[in-house]
Amino acid sequence: MVFRMSGIVKRFGGLVALDDVNFEVSKGEVMALVGDNGAGKSTLIKTMSGAHAPDGGTIEMEGRLVQFRSPQEAWASGIATIYQELALAGKMTVVDNIFLGREIKKPVLGIPFLDRQAMRKRTAELLDQLDVHVPSVDSWVESMSGGQRQGIAIARALNMDARLIIMDEPTAALAVAEVRKVLEFIKRLRSEEKSVVLISHNIQDVFEVSDRISVMRHGRCIAVRETAKTTPQEIIGLITGAHEVRAAAS
Amino acid sequence: MASMGDTRPALRFVSPTASRELALIAAIIIVSVIFASASPYFLTVNNLVQTMRAGLELAIISAGMTLVIIMGAIDVSVGGILAVSAIVIGKAYQAGLPVYIVTPAGLMVGTALGAFNGFITAKLKVPPIISTLGSMYIFSAIMFLVIGGAWISGLPGTLSPLINGWVGFVPAAALVIGAVYLLAWVVLRKLSFGSHIYAIGCDEHSARLVGINVDRTKIMTYALLGFLTGLAALLYVARLRNVEINIGTTIALEAIAATILGGTNIRGGVGSLLGTLLGVAFIRIMQNGLVLMGVSSLWETVIIGSLLIVVLTGDALRNRNNARAI
Repeated sequence: MVFRMSGIVKRFGGLVALDDVNFEVSKGEVMALVGDNGAGKSTLIKTMSGAHAPDGGTIEMEGRLVQFRSPQEAWASGIATIYQELALAGKMTVVDNIFLGREIKKPVLGIPFLDRQAMRKRTAELLDQLDVHVPSVDSWVESMSGGQRQGIAIARALNMDARLIIMDEPTAALAVAEVRKVLEFIKRLRSEEKSVVLISHNIQDVFEVSDRISVMRHGRCIAVRETAKTTPQEIIGLITGAHEVRAAAS
Repeated sequence: MASMGDTRPALRFVSPTASRELALIAAIIIVSVIFASASPYFLTVNNLVQTMRAGLELAIISAGMTLVIIMGAIDVSVGGILAVSAIVIGKAYQAGLPVYIVTPAGLMVGTALGAFNGFITAKLKVPPIISTLGSMYIFSAIMFLVIGGAWISGLPGTLSPLINGWVGFVPAAALVIGAVYLLAWVVLRKLSFGSHIYAIGCDEHSARLVGINVDRTKIMTYALLGFLTGLAALLYVARLRNVEINIGTTIALEAIAATILGGTNIRGGVGSLLGTLLGVAFIRIMQNGLVLMGVSSLWETVIIGSLLIVVLTGDALRNRNNARAI
């Protein structure tokens, strides 16, 4: 297991948002996280990414117990979260965005000048690895499409040596061709032995790229299914609670 | 679309603010033609060099202001920093201290006051226009408490060759301006510190997320503006050989105006040092030309103010029409 959460509890006042949640992801696995609005998906990924501290339970990353006090600490231990708003600087170039905070420097007379040539080269490699196409690595991110921005955000996560990449609704608000591209990115990450947590409302996307599916309902992780051994009907039933109705009836 | 093997720099010579820079050059040429036809004195070497010397302090402070505004911040207290630094320099000269003590002392006072602004802005999370307005009042009060409404006069002009001197055919003032802008350009474009300034101006939250030390970057950027303001104070004292009670009253607004006219976005993230330098030149040439034409200098402030409104309205409209702007 690359990543394991056990018995996670999170309360907001009297509301129990996460109730004894167990969740795990293997190396090179795409784990989909599905559930209705308010099921606790957002709270769970905020706990994974360091934005929320859990009230109970443990988190293990690569076999070590971890406690995150901030998103930066989660990034530092190899967990990158790519939110819908992406956190890219629109008026900076692709290269500058990917290397923000970890620039390559070449000292001249002891002054650490930026080595833009080396950063361009590494950016081209990263984008090549993901098969992201941009007009130029020196153009502004603001001028890029939603799919290209997703690619740049993933490339940045890879450059920061992320081993677990959490993607929150990466295909929402994208055109069809762009959705295909983002799903390709996720498959590429798996082939690079990276682990991915994919949060999505789109069951079709989930079935196309995921290896396993975790279903959340009322703040609990109620089921984990292997994608190859389940059906969209079963997953939708789990999300909406139809299985409970059937169980009660029989 | 280029293939991904393409690592050539894309048209680096066209900066995002190039259109503004070209517009300013055109504006400077147009007003120069008008002034030259109105006054035979305008296009003389003597007048142009005098205009540049009069713009020396504004040019230096505006370079630092550009960095602060690119960072999405602002500093309205530079006039106060200029005044307090000049008073310390004046008092130190009066106490008989030599120039090699007074110079670092003046630079250190400016740097410390700038760092103070950065500290209250970053650590107390006060909006920069409010925090620096507060420090402006404090710095003015210090000035009045120290000099009590009187001028400090009769100061030595030891550093005046930096303003009035010539190196061959090049005025020393031009070399000082060139050195300051080269320094600011290296900081902004060639060091990671400059990338962090742009990143904070674009989106402070994501800058924090990727691990940039936002607070330290803010304090250092304000300190750099303070350092440059201290340098401006040294040159002010060397130029006028006294410290007047109205020192620095308009310089903050002029520096902000020059920066915004030069294409730096008041909301941060975008900016150009070349544009700022052209903005300074435009403001000082307008002042000089209108004086030569016998027009009240009040009209100069009306023209600069109107241009600022036009520029800021244009920026606001462009942002509104750009749906992809993050």
